Amino acid sequence: MASSRRRMLLKVIILGDSGVGKTSLMNQYVNRKFSNQYKATIGADFLTKEVQFEDRLFTLQIWDTAGQERFQSLGVAFYRGADCCVLVYDVNVMKSFENLNHWREEFLIQASPSDPENFPFIVLGNKIDVDGGNSRVVSEKKARAWCASKGNIPYFETSAKEGFNVEAAFQCIASNALKNEPEEEIYLPDTIDVAAGRQQRSTGCC
Amino acid sequence: MQEAELHDLADDADYAASQQQGSASLMRSDSSSRRSSASEPDGAEVVYWKDNVTIHPTQYASERISGRLRLNKQGPSLFMTWIPYKGQGSNAKLSERDRNLYTIRAVPFTEVRSIRRHTPTLGWQYIIVVLSSGLAFPPLYFYNGGVKEFLATIKLHVFLVRSAEDANVFLVNDIQDRLQRTLSSLELPGAVASGLSSSPTVGESLSISNEDRTDGGSFDGSASHVQQNGRRRQKVQDPARDLSIQVLEKFSLVTRFARETTSQIFGEIHSDGYGDSERRAHNQTLQNYSSSEVANDVEKVPDEVPVASDPLEFEKKTLVWGKPREAPLMSDEWSAFFDSEGRIKDSEALKKRIFYGGVDYMLRNEVWPFLLGYHAFDSTYAEREYLVSVKKTEYETIKNQWQSISSEQAKRFTKFRERRGLVEKDVVRTDRSLSFYDGDDNPNVNLLRDILLTYSFYNFDLGYCQGMSDLLSPILYVMKNESESFWCFVALMERLGPNFNRDQNGMHTQLFALSKLVELLDSPLHNYFKLNDCLNYFFCFRWVLIQFKRQVTWEFEFERTMRVWEVMWTHYMSEHLHLYFCVAILKRYRRKIMGEQMDFDTLLKFINELSGQIDLDATLRDAEALCVCAGENGAACIPPGTPPSLPIGEGSLYPLQDDDDVL
Repeated sequence: MASSRRRMLLKVIILGDSGVGKTSLMNQYVNRKFSNQYKATIGADFLTKEVQFEDRLFTLQIWDTAGQERFQSLGVAFYRGADCCVLVYDVNVMKSFENLNHWREEFLIQASPSDPENFPFIVLGNKIDVDGGNSRVVSEKKARAWCASKGNIPYFETSAKEGFNVEAAFQCIASNALKNEPEEEIYLPDTIDVAAGRQQRSTGCC
Repeated sequence: MQEAELHDLADDADYAASQQQGSASLMRSDSSSRRSSASEPDGAEVVYWKDNVTIHPTQYASERISGRLRLNKQGPSLFMTWIPYKGQGSNAKLSERDRNLYTIRAVPFTEVRSIRRHTPTLGWQYIIVVLSSGLAFPPLYFYNGGVKEFLATIKLHVFLVRSAEDANVFLVNDIQDRLQRTLSSLELPGAVASGLSSSPTVGESLSISNEDRTDGGSFDGSASHVQQNGRRRQKVQDPARDLSIQVLEKFSLVTRFARETTSQIFGEIHSDGYGDSERRAHNQTLQNYSSSEVANDVEKVPDEVPVASDPLEFEKKTLVWGKPREAPLMSDEWSAFFDSEGRIKDSEALKKRIFYGGVDYMLRNEVWPFLLGYHAFDSTYAEREYLVSVKKTEYETIKNQWQSISSEQAKRFTKFRERRGLVEKDVVRTDRSLSFYDGDDNPNVNLLRDILLTYSFYNFDLGYCQGMSDLLSPILYVMKNESESFWCFVALMERLGPNFNRDQNGMHTQLFALSKLVELLDSPLHNYFKLNDCLNYFFCFRWVLIQFKRQVTWEFEFERTMRVWEVMWTHYMSEHLHLYFCVAILKRYRRKIMGEQMDFDTLLKFINELSGQIDLDATLRDAEALCVCAGENGAACIPPGTPPSLPIGEGSLYPLQDDDDVL
């Protein structure tokens, strides 16, 4: 039962500095809406969307988390069981790009996926619409070079405001999350995944 | 080595103070070691112990709790315990409570996910132990060093690997060890139970049943869920054995009766979240219930409201369930509270009045500075006028500090630029749908920014953290005046600052207290959360951090947030009414939560979306009743210094401030 539920639900975590557009990307993809009035995310929240992939229906559960480092101790509870991690930066803010490495590492520590080497990440350079691209400080080349150095992480340039490339990015996210799944299924009986472990134990004893 | 450290840190008052504390507890440790040696589980071998390992429940040095950290080996399993020393601190009664709350007893390493080591150049080494449930113990500070030895000892007995990503993180039972972990987890329940039941500290102060204390009186390993659930089921069949069940039953009965009575009287339709089956269960329990105490309460209730002639009598009886809410405090009544020189004659009566009715919106700018503690209740008109002018100057001085940073200087001041960037990002997305903050170049948005930046210089260690703009926005909306808003915010942050601390101590303490309260007031719900891996209560994080402020779309919602705040700020009945308010909401939806078998994700989503739908007045009444029902046992669930408790003793300290806020 646990495995069939896991196969249906794909959990995606969006990480990145405060204000890079995590909430906006999620809302643009799920609701096709953009608002200037999203609040800073406190704690965490998620939206779900049904996606079809190779004739199968899946529920994409997209987690939006607080961007301030101080809240990272919450990550343990929210990251676990993730199938894909989306790292977002703002192409107009160098620091948000430089922090991608930190976010990636923090995710691997807190989520402790079973195969960290091959865990699917995706990088989004957001806000390419701002000022017609004139305020941009991180070049696409630079971003792609970093992604290549981290095991060829797929890279997309997006504008959550204009909906540019968001659908394509999330399709890639969904398919990569899905690729991560079969392995999980094989390992499920012995996995250290806490939720699954618990379920197993409780059904065994009750 | 310790001397050398002392020397290096001679100018660090915080460090020096705790060194004194550390040596004081060293003297006590002889007797405590004898006592604690008696607490070894049968057949356990102590493979490591360290004295003066201390937790900092709050940022105040006086509230730190030192204890002994041990690693016990029992059969193939390794357990960690941390037992605080007895009789520490100035208030022995309080520390006894803390002892029970914070004691870590017999946590098996099969339940530990990782250990993060912190070895700051300034201050003490500490570790954070993260359980696989996501729950983390408070940081354990090694006043006498020994983190390396601790980790080395663990490595001898348990599969421990250094994280490839962060040299300071040690993963326990990493995936390579999957098989071993699965095997060892199978033997867990028995081992945990024996470790728990033989611990003598378990049976001390809380006046709930033995079993309750055993599995709930402290942090414990979560592997024994199933077994505990089994035990609990037995208990549910025999409520008399368990006071916490009694409290629950009593509350349900009384609430039901009080509700029916008051509904009749006021013709009020009250959606209480209790289903028919629960009502039947309650009726059943009522028929079987022989306690005269409950029967008395029940009989008292029906005549509670009509007998309003004697206010004292009225109060005593309606206390059983939250008193009916009143109209807000109005201008005439407010002026009657003052003597001729402007002192508030009876501040308790005022707090009580506001607790039950809140404040009329026109009066808030006068009343809030008192509730927040910016103005003293016994100050005169003249004293307040003087204070306001002095504080205005002081505000301008601090504001000038960052305003005088030129753009040239800012280029070499990364920390300032980053902090300003964070604040600017957040103020433009704080309550912008309200006309007060609406539109381009809104001057009030700029005021938010100025006040928050000034606060981050006023309290540079705490700095700016997300959520602060949410707390300031209603204050500025009410006060209108920049300097007054700033000082009211400062007063609020005296209470809530620990919520925003880098180690999230204030939040963890509150969520922990909340879990204890739910365990006391609704143990079936507690058990449900336990079985479903929800005991970290992260789903209540937003409620607690920004005080039930909701996604504000209309002035009306803003008004309701302000009402909740001013009621909580009275600290009438309890400083921690907000925690009872959380329990009240959870109890209202308990049937839905358990009936729909919500898991952590679903629960979080449900609670995030609940924000607009909470019946404010009814929930406040529930919270009041729960607070009364819980009484001393409830207060014992909440560690001293839990926000928003005001500091006990010395001034504010924010430890662990070395890390950069922005990465």
